[in-house]
Amino acid sequence: MTTDLHGIISAYRTSPDLGVLVHGRTASALTFAGRYRLVDFALSSLRLAGVRNVGVVMQKEYQSLLDHIGSGKAWDFSRKDGGISLLPPFSLDAARSGVYNGLLEALLAVESYIRRIQERYIAIMPGNLAANVDLRAALKEHIDSGAGITAVCAKGTPNGEHHRYIVDDKGDVLEMHYRRISETAGVADLETYIVNKDVLLEMVDTAASLMRYRLHADGIAGYLSRGGKMHSYIHEGYAMQINTVQDYMQANMHMLRRDARRSLFPLDRPILTKDRADVSTYYAECSKVTNSLVSDGCYIEGIVENCVIAPGVHIGKGAMLSNCIIMRDTQIGENVRLKYVISDKYAQIKDGEVLVGSENVPLVIPRGYIA
Amino acid sequence: MKKSCIAMLLAGGQGSRLYALTSNVAKPNIPFGGKYRIIDFPLSNCANSGIDTVGVLTQYKPLRLNSYIGSGMPWDLDSNEGGVYVLPPYMGAGEKGSWFKGTANAIYQNMEFIEMYDPDHVLILSGDHVYKMDYADMLREHMEKDAACTIAVLQVSMEDASRFGIMNVGEDGYVCEFEEKPARPKSDLASMGIYIFNWKKLKQYLIEDENTPGSDNDFGKNIIPNMINAGEKLWPYRFEGYWRDVGTIISLWDANMDMLSPKLIDLYNENWPIRGRSPIRPPQWIGPNAVVEHSIITEGCEVEGKISNSVLSNSVIVGAGAEVNYSILMPGAEVGPGAVVEYAIIGENTKIQAGTHVGTQPDGSEDWGVATVGPGITVAPGAVVPAGAMIYESVEG
Repeated sequence: MTTDLHGIISAYRTSPDLGVLVHGRTASALTFAGRYRLVDFALSSLRLAGVRNVGVVMQKEYQSLLDHIGSGKAWDFSRKDGGISLLPPFSLDAARSGVYNGLLEALLAVESYIRRIQERYIAIMPGNLAANVDLRAALKEHIDSGAGITAVCAKGTPNGEHHRYIVDDKGDVLEMHYRRISETAGVADLETYIVNKDVLLEMVDTAASLMRYRLHADGIAGYLSRGGKMHSYIHEGYAMQINTVQDYMQANMHMLRRDARRSLFPLDRPILTKDRADVSTYYAECSKVTNSLVSDGCYIEGIVENCVIAPGVHIGKGAMLSNCIIMRDTQIGENVRLKYVISDKYAQIKDGEVLVGSENVPLVIPRGYIA
Repeated sequence: MKKSCIAMLLAGGQGSRLYALTSNVAKPNIPFGGKYRIIDFPLSNCANSGIDTVGVLTQYKPLRLNSYIGSGMPWDLDSNEGGVYVLPPYMGAGEKGSWFKGTANAIYQNMEFIEMYDPDHVLILSGDHVYKMDYADMLREHMEKDAACTIAVLQVSMEDASRFGIMNVGEDGYVCEFEEKPARPKSDLASMGIYIFNWKKLKQYLIEDENTPGSDNDFGKNIIPNMINAGEKLWPYRFEGYWRDVGTIISLWDANMDMLSPKLIDLYNENWPIRGRSPIRPPQWIGPNAVVEHSIITEGCEVEGKISNSVLSNSVIVGAGAEVNYSILMPGAEVGPGAVVEYAIIGENTKIQAGTHVGTQPDGSEDWGVATVGPGITVAPGAVVPAGAMIYESVEG
């Protein structure tokens, strides 16, 4: 089932509000729901739509993402023709320094790649969106509507800064608003789009000539003011963009709810990820685990409540964890107490240590730290 | 391409003593220890031992096994130099094709495959054993002792020895006699069914055996005794560690329970990983009222009831108020709310519906046994499956 859709994942952008969680990595490489990385949602959504060719736009600190994506084999993107292309900045000048001033500058940096795209439509997805998006349905609506751009939107009001669209009864966009102007009116932009290739190139060229690179304020506003037609596709399932430590904590805790989990991980639309081939998780006689999401390869001897645990974590005897997110291969010693703690991978927590954060301000243990 | 040693894995056995569990799959494809299928053990051992070319001989119900093995990617065996090759019985030009007559005949029929690699040595493995073993060390000893055949042996108690093929060893340390299940064993070295042969020698004996009318074409019954009688050098490679044959319901249940004692076999050691094909399901969810005691659980499971001393494969669902004790739940099995499953093996995708009772605790009686419910079956609400039962078809309440 091939499709006339090409994928572009914008994985270059990282919100500074993610703090030490994004030291040395971009948000798209962040661990999510135990075994996944955030970028798995974009990669899997594209795969599920039958997309064969995907470009991943990255700029800095992409080592972690390169490790994870590899040849793209886990998502069937390791192909003789096309498959996955990892796109760091092509030119050696400005793009390598500083930060892209918007999605359009990031796309300008890989413009030659976009020009070579054979497909007529391009799906653009952010690397930090936890959502299982039916891009095949979105593409169908896009084609049927005759629009040049279709924004994948959510009803309701998501966390944080975002744009909103006032739409007519067919879902065509009448006006674009910034969140602070209209908190609840219309539908919320999830930064996921289906765009005609020619429309996208025109936006990138215009941005380059005016040196105005922001997608909404410059690109979409300009497109609409020139009389361009834009459509909205409503994504009904779970969706959350991860931009802050609070978003990260909240979204992970949502995964303890069956409805949210079923919406992100339905049996017939699998989210795929690189497999570590871990052994099963062992619950020792002295362990007690409730309301938690636990990955394989863990060895649990302690007490765990309301936690999300990544692969390869060891929780020692007498340790008590509640409301924590524990990333992979963390070693937690005996009689440790952790509450509202996010522990990054390879952290070690010594016997008897007590670390407490709060729901709004979780305590983050950086990668590899010995606490 | 010339290889020093390739492996041939005998995976064609029906596993008839597993009854309903092998009604739709071959024994090597039986789920084991939560994450695994039995064949993952020899395949992972090969990959870890640096043996990159493995022929898997299939015959009984090969389809699911073929798709499970695929390109060999999960075991890192999908390299340019080697690979895993599934070898069904086939027909040569002008011949009448036939099923494998015995273990030796299975290898005989695939001599052409082995010749493609022109190996010095061939490792013969079986697809129904659970163990971690460095075949490279065995190969080193095989070459050091200049043996025509090296047989992996395990020291067993003298009482148990009469259940095994027993190797009697001469003063020089080489094997001088092989006895299949001797009533009065002279030694406690049991054959593990793992052999390394000098390929040129093996080929000669295979052809000879094939031309012997009335032969069972079996390694243990024919090839090994023939080699001993002909004065070949057979070396016993002494293996120490965990090894189980999981050919019967009780041995399969026992070996799964062993996985709850990491001291017996350490699967958490990163230096010798046992790998399997993962369905990539979300992490296991342990619900707010769930109780999990001394168990192994795997990706995709959702547990709301009480689990103790049990082994859960991927995507198993245990409903609220259900109780699972001393049981093995294979991939996709469901235990409905309030159901009780104890001392039982539940096959893949089988549904144990609300309020049923499967298996009972041992009561000391002779008739007691582990209850087994085959794959793809529904046990309807209110039904009772007694201890020792073997269920092939859906049960009504």
